[in-house]
Amino acid sequence: MSGKKVLVVDDEIHIIHVVAIKLRNNGYEVITADNGAEAFEAALKEKPDIVVTDFQMPVMTGLELIEKLRQCEQTKNTPVIMLTARSFAISKEQQESLQIAGCLSKPFSPRELLENIEDILYQRELIVDNR
Amino acid sequence: MVTGIVAFSLFIGGLAQWQSSDTGEGWRFAGYIQRWGPCVLVCYIAAAVGVILLGWHCFTLAGKITSIARLLKEKLTAENANKGIKIGNSALSAVKKPAIIKELNQAIEQLLAKSSEHIAHLENQIKDLQIQIQLSQRREKNTEAIIYSIRDAVIVIDEFDKLLMANEAAGKLFGFDFKDSRQKTISELIGADHRKFADLISHSRQTGGRATRQEVEFFQEGTPKAFDCIISRVYDQAERICGVVAVLHDITREKEISQMKNDFVSHVSHELKTPLASIMAYSEMLSDGEANDEQTRKEFYSVIQNQAKRLNRLIEDILNISRIESGLIKIKKEPVSLTILIEEQLQMIKSYAEEKNIEIIGQKPIVFDQVYADKDMISQVIVNLLSNAVKYTRPGGSVTIKTEVDEIAGLAKVTITDTGVGIPESELGHLFEKFYRVEANKNVAKGTGLGLNLVKQIIEKVHNGRVFVESKVGEGSTFGFELPLAAREAVEVTQR
Repeated sequence: MSGKKVLVVDDEIHIIHVVAIKLRNNGYEVITADNGAEAFEAALKEKPDIVVTDFQMPVMTGLELIEKLRQCEQTKNTPVIMLTARSFAISKEQQESLQIAGCLSKPFSPRELLENIEDILYQRELIVDNR
Repeated sequence: MVTGIVAFSLFIGGLAQWQSSDTGEGWRFAGYIQRWGPCVLVCYIAAAVGVILLGWHCFTLAGKITSIARLLKEKLTAENANKGIKIGNSALSAVKKPAIIKELNQAIEQLLAKSSEHIAHLENQIKDLQIQIQLSQRREKNTEAIIYSIRDAVIVIDEFDKLLMANEAAGKLFGFDFKDSRQKTISELIGADHRKFADLISHSRQTGGRATRQEVEFFQEGTPKAFDCIISRVYDQAERICGVVAVLHDITREKEISQMKNDFVSHVSHELKTPLASIMAYSEMLSDGEANDEQTRKEFYSVIQNQAKRLNRLIEDILNISRIESGLIKIKKEPVSLTILIEEQLQMIKSYAEEKNIEIIGQKPIVFDQVYADKDMISQVIVNLLSNAVKYTRPGGSVTIKTEVDEIAGLAKVTITDTGVGIPESELGHLFEKFYRVEANKNVAKGTGLGLNLVKQIIEKVHNGRVFVESKVGEGSTFGFELPLAAREAVEVTQR
């Protein structure tokens, strides 16, 4: 999956840093943002293959960011993984309606996050190949 | 016989006239005879004949009565003989008469005794009924007293939905006065706002069982209120519903507290998980060998250490607030100089301010600024206010700290003024609430929303002081507190 572009969004600089190192060490290109509004701009500009976002952030929350991504033609199919410190913050219905590919609760394992990203991107590639 | 009666009447009439005569002129008979002559005489003769006839008639009547009496006696004797009571025969002898009378007396006495017993029994029954009525009235009064003393709204209605009893809380809730509302139907008394409650009562009649429980929400004096409503059905001896008792317990506050508790737990878990997430992620990276060089490893160790400290501070803040709120914190009050405390805390914050290029403006020492306080707690207050001021001030700005003493009012006042981002006026009232953060300033600096709450708790709850804030968006904020000055004499004694 090397060469794929991942947008990492979190208001905690340490989380962005650790996720970025993990992904870069495994061949991914990483772009970062510390709030939803900045992330949306970056998504339009950089067209990431996948977005990893925190749930609670200033200016624009993770959920609001996903809603905006789904409304935009360019980003409506971009898979998103949500990181959240609030258990049960997102219902299954919300997860389905916003096409959230995965949810990881904080504290999370960077190893597990990497596995999730690889699975989702692999499944995407399979779907594209079958078409 | 009639003639006789007439003549006798005339005779009596004449006699009466004679007796009432005022003249006293001898016999009136002579007068009458002289005036009316033979006619009167004939009448008197007829009267005499009438008297004789009346006498005869009476005599024959007496004979007949005697015969009837004898016949009756014979018949009675025969009947008694048939019943086995030998009280004599038709020719009762003089010897047997007292025995019969005795038996009759006994029978009458028995009858009287039975009647007395019956009367006594009835009197007892009346007494029992009176006692039962009194008990019933007392029970009703007791029930009324219980219902009136309950804080929850209680309504008792009969099988026709008419109001039998209601307490003050019910009247207040539904807006009626019980004295004027007895026997009115529940639908007459309850307005459209409480329609759901009336529907619940009628629904409860149709369902089986003894009671129904449901949460209902009404507007009371314009504010939404939640009630735990229990409707109990009252059954008669034939197991038919003859009434309904409804109790409405106001759970608005309980729900608010529950919501606050949930929010608190949610906030705390979020705030605890954030540094914990960093600690776990960085330690996993180290153990997985993802830190490629010594510099990166050192950086990872530093992050873990800082996040662990952050976690500890957060836990300490939460525990301190909890201890202060529950009154379990150990407080060690002594005379302390605010100037000295401020100097100590300024040293701690100085490097952080220099990093951000923020000027800290201190103050000249004040002769007497001693307060009777817990040194560690007031130090915590000063450091929280100073670090907030530096955090929300842009590089190039300044933070000024000042102490004033009002000896007349007996107060020491500390103010910390920054040239920072400022706070919208609408949010000033919420600043000291737990976990409250100004939305517009969340991206300016990190925070848990606990620091200012802890300041308020320490100053107001522990030291009977006062916290205050003034702010203008874009210009800056002034946070401060007032504490009562320590008495000079007490300070001197302590210093010796």
